[in-house]
Amino acid sequence: MLAPKREKYRKRQRGRLRGNATRKNEVAFGDYGLMALEPKLITNRQIEAARVAMTRHIRRGGKVWIRIFPDKPYTKKPAETRMGKGKGTPEYWVAPVKPGTVLFELAGVPRQAASEAIALAGSKLPVKTKLLVRRNLEE
Amino acid sequence: MSDRSLTAELRTETKKGAARRLRRQGRIPAVMYGNRDPLLLSIDAREFSRKFQRISESTIIHLSAGGDTYDVLVKDFQIDHIIERLEHIDFFEIERGRVLRARVMLHFEGNPIGVREGGLQELLVHEVEVESLPRDLPERIDVDIENLEVGQSMHVSDLVVPDGVRVLASQDQVVALIAHKVEEVEEEDEGEEEDLEGEIGEDE
Repeated sequence: MLAPKREKYRKRQRGRLRGNATRKNEVAFGDYGLMALEPKLITNRQIEAARVAMTRHIRRGGKVWIRIFPDKPYTKKPAETRMGKGKGTPEYWVAPVKPGTVLFELAGVPRQAASEAIALAGSKLPVKTKLLVRRNLEE
Repeated sequence: MSDRSLTAELRTETKKGAARRLRRQGRIPAVMYGNRDPLLLSIDAREFSRKFQRISESTIIHLSAGGDTYDVLVKDFQIDHIIERLEHIDFFEIERGRVLRARVMLHFEGNPIGVREGGLQELLVHEVEVESLPRDLPERIDVDIENLEVGQSMHVSDLVVPDGVRVLASQDQVVALIAHKVEEVEEEDEGEEEDLEGEIGEDE
């Protein structure tokens, strides 16, 4: 699973996701892309699940790019704990995703297989997604 | 009307309110600039979107506006990526006989030998910036990758461009390569997961 190699600060404020993505919003490396249409913190487990679903489907050939990285620690308080006594402990890593962010890219597979793989990956994520095709892509 | 001709209307209103009104009417605000003062235009969204599928940014378009016809290139465009709507277009008026720079699409041809032998084709560059006179500007550059074997790559220096066209990208840049295929290994996932959980827990 994706996670930072080291971190400067263990805990981070949660923040809010406002507006749409102004970068990372185009297919840059591959031929097809998976775009998020909602804002959400996507966990490294979800990213991994989507990647596995996609690569299993296109087992023979193709290349996958993961465009997001979970570099934000997400903390949780233990169950049945009274409020206070400080912030919880880091539980997992998340990638903040704004609408319009391209999450995955895919190349080297026919359109039908790419569209199926992208749909499978999208079903593993907590956001609505859509398929993107690189402009001027010739089949 | 052919793919390479376009009709535009002159507009006088500027700023976001006017631009939004135009978009609601099914038009796209545009601007044309080059050697003379910029012209504010609007074009039909459906007509342009349909033609934009088939033209590239190095296609010379005959743009009719205000009773005159101009030869232009699409210099830039803004898209609302979520609803996939063109928001604004920049046209660049070209001057005959004057060298210009434009981005030209690469068109890869052939099924490489390496792919038939089980390699993975990677196309790293899809367009290159070129410099040429308007009459020499190609709409696309054909790249023959048929003879590429596994482990071989093609560089910008290997591109065959028409006479009078100079590619501005670095000559060493890799355009396409055939890599060895790496099969997905399922077992490694479990091990990695345990390592990371340990990592997060231990730095209390």
